[in-house]
Amino acid sequence: MSLKIEQVSKYFGDTAALNEVTVEINDGEFIAILGPSGCGKTTLLRVVGGFIEPSGGRIQLEDKVYSSKDCHVPVEKRDLGMVFQSFALWPHMTVREHIEFPLKSKKNRRMSGQERKQIVDKAISTMGLTKLAERLPGELSGGQRQRVALARAIVAKPKILLMDEPLSALDAELKISMRREIQDIHKITGATILYVTHDQSEALAMADRIIIMKSGQVVQMGTPEEIYLKPKTKFVAAFVGRCNIINGAWNNGNFYPEGTNIMYDGKGMADYFVEEGIYPVRPEEFKLSKQGEGIKGTIVNRQYNGREIHYTVKCGQDYFTVYENEDCGCRVDEEIILIKKEQKIAGHY
Amino acid sequence: MNPKAIGKKAVHIIIYFITFFVFIMPILRLVIMSVTVDYGYGLDNFIKLLQEARTVKAIINTIMIAFFSTLISVVLGSVFAFIIAYTNIPKKRFLETLVLIPFILPSYIITLSWSNLLEKKALINFLLTSIGLEALNLYSLPGIIFVLGICNTPVVYLITIHMLRKIPQDLEWASRASGYGIFETMIKINLPQAMPAIISGGMLAFLASVDNFSVPAFLGISSGIPVLSTYIYEKAISFGPSAFNLAAALSVLLSVIAIGGILLQGKCIKKSSGSESIKEDDSIRIMLSDKVKNIVRYVCLFFLILINIVPIITMVLSSFLKNYGGFKIQNLIVSNYEFVFTNRGVRQAVFNSISLALITCIICIVIGMVLAYLKVRKKSKVVLVMESGAELTYAIPGIVLSLAMIFHWTMLADVYGTIKILIISYVTRYLILQIKGCTTAMLSVDASMEEAAMVSGSSKIRLWLKVLIPLLKKQVLSGSFLIFVSALTELTLSSMLAAAGTKTIGLTVFNLQQGGDYALAAALSTVIVMVLLMGYLGSHLFGRKKVNRNKEADSTGQLKVLKLKQAGVGR
Repeated sequence: MSLKIEQVSKYFGDTAALNEVTVEINDGEFIAILGPSGCGKTTLLRVVGGFIEPSGGRIQLEDKVYSSKDCHVPVEKRDLGMVFQSFALWPHMTVREHIEFPLKSKKNRRMSGQERKQIVDKAISTMGLTKLAERLPGELSGGQRQRVALARAIVAKPKILLMDEPLSALDAELKISMRREIQDIHKITGATILYVTHDQSEALAMADRIIIMKSGQVVQMGTPEEIYLKPKTKFVAAFVGRCNIINGAWNNGNFYPEGTNIMYDGKGMADYFVEEGIYPVRPEEFKLSKQGEGIKGTIVNRQYNGREIHYTVKCGQDYFTVYENEDCGCRVDEEIILIKKEQKIAGHY
Repeated sequence: MNPKAIGKKAVHIIIYFITFFVFIMPILRLVIMSVTVDYGYGLDNFIKLLQEARTVKAIINTIMIAFFSTLISVVLGSVFAFIIAYTNIPKKRFLETLVLIPFILPSYIITLSWSNLLEKKALINFLLTSIGLEALNLYSLPGIIFVLGICNTPVVYLITIHMLRKIPQDLEWASRASGYGIFETMIKINLPQAMPAIISGGMLAFLASVDNFSVPAFLGISSGIPVLSTYIYEKAISFGPSAFNLAAALSVLLSVIAIGGILLQGKCIKKSSGSESIKEDDSIRIMLSDKVKNIVRYVCLFFLILINIVPIITMVLSSFLKNYGGFKIQNLIVSNYEFVFTNRGVRQAVFNSISLALITCIICIVIGMVLAYLKVRKKSKVVLVMESGAELTYAIPGIVLSLAMIFHWTMLADVYGTIKILIISYVTRYLILQIKGCTTAMLSVDASMEEAAMVSGSSKIRLWLKVLIPLLKKQVLSGSFLIFVSALTELTLSSMLAAAGTKTIGLTVFNLQQGGDYALAAALSTVIVMVLLMGYLGSHLFGRKKVNRNKEADSTGQLKVLKLKQAGVGR
């Protein structure tokens, strides 16, 4: 019971928008596809939706092949719903007509009028649109439009819900509350959700698993915790949350930052970092100190953010970011020591 | 009051005066003429006209022709727009050029080419009669409807295709994801979105038909099919008792139909300004299989060549024939061209048209630039008054304007009957195009550029020569190019206003055709077609080079919009 994407490629001319992507998604999973613009995440979504024919590979939902070398099931025959960044509401139809639309398609031909009305009424009330049912999209606010789009996508109970940056057209406040609604929809429908976003906090907050993409390839796939705490590459570390990359040397599973006599525990760190001779440290893992052992540096910038204070520290040629919860009394131009939590003194190395 | 304020006041008064005298008064005079009767003022002219069976017939014909030709334009224009905007057929640019051919050529040349194709002895009718069918007669109501339908197809096409490309693809995808196939989606989603554009294109086509003089003049006068525009012409040149008053009354009737249409169209455009994105999306939305794709492509190609190329080729061929000669090698002659290039009358007409077009352009550019400068930089409200005046003389049908010109300018000696009346009429007619063109150009040049030049010590003259003119040149000229082409091939105004010695190219073709010299008319038309094609090709190449150098200026887009307006209410 799953959605299988096997070695799917898509070329636009000579450039590969997708390069042999292989992913297996479990039934009912909430998957966020995260990556910078141009990484192929939207292309992957459209290939699964059938809007774009892949150049190679295979897509299969349970035992039904959607795309392969010799078959391409058209969009309307796939069992899916889709939510767009632009909402994609039809200006000439009312809210009710939007939500009825999927139920009037050939797929649901056999549904009786009464049954249809029941389902539509329920979807309208679930999404809190009862009072707006006869309005046109032009008369709705951004959040209301997105609710209509969501209701339209789920009303026919598709197995897969595709969401293409559905929150990025909303303002910051609304984004947070709509996150909860999307999570509720996931719970109620039990559909498999593919959710494309470039906003890492959305992905971390909502997804069961996250796919990180770069240049048409999957770089890492895992739970939010795995992605955040155990990134496999420098790219993942830097893309999901801020990250300081420390240069140094690895020895016996321990990391020795350059020019210091301390060492960091390297347990669970991906091979990639060992091979590259680097170590990722999150801004909140550092503490600023006026004395002690650690990486020496000079504060070049300090920004007060309310909950925490952000510092930029120049250490040799590198600039590191540090988030402090309390004011340590450090000032710009002051020379300080960066101490990582749970670091050890290396003694002689 | 200081001298500057007095100067400003003086400018205002001059603009008000010119607006009133040049744009408003001719039309007022026309209206007054229409209600002038023997004993003073009254509606007798209208009553008398409406009692005549011929007037009623002309009104019915006008509306019938406009309605059915619009139907043809809407069907052809929107079908081609859908195919070219959305499908994956190859060589779309070429197909689009074929669709737009009637846009480039004056409608009397299209009429002439069709009348050549459907001549009694020509191939098509020969075949039809030989298998026992009735020959097609272009000199009939259906003939006029058909030719006007073809002439106005590009208007509908252009408005519709821009709209179709502006419909966001997401809207289609949302429908596909809801379980609808691509063709169902087109009907349920895209068609309702494109409808306002199709309707407003149809309204423009309707107006163009009501306004058109050339087609019914070529096909309807000799066969006794009156429409309002040709009926006005006949009345005006008949010199019977109160002929001018009756023509004026007819003009008022025609203007009512036209202005009613414009108001309706304005309503449609307002309605359509809804959800479309600003950017046009050229991506392919309907993937046809190779087989279907080729069928669609060749059907389109065949059809377009048949309606837009074959008649022109026939016309070119028949220009090499003796009159009534039939297609035989020994009948091939070049004497028609000898006539075209050596006949004094023709040479005079070519000279007249070229000088008229050039002089009109120059006057329009000067006035247009001054007005645009006042409007954009000085925020002068007075200019809007003049702009409205110019819009009015552009919106009313050409034949009505020419009548108004006669009534108005005969009050000055030495205007009517000379080339001056034509220059004045052309400027009155086309000025709005240049005002719009210059305004857009002016808006694209930031005031800070001027200030920078002033700060660095340029004089006013240097400012214009070194800064403004180079920056504005291209957009301003693209507007003038349109005026030039329209004035060069103009027929409606000159048919009423030209006298011996001031005949134009259009009028010469008209006279040749009315006099039965079909081959000579064809030869002259062929020359015009060649010149126009070269002109467009040249401006296209020239324009493209410039666009590469200066990416932000989109003069072709602007030209297209102006052309649309022109085709809509101008011809």
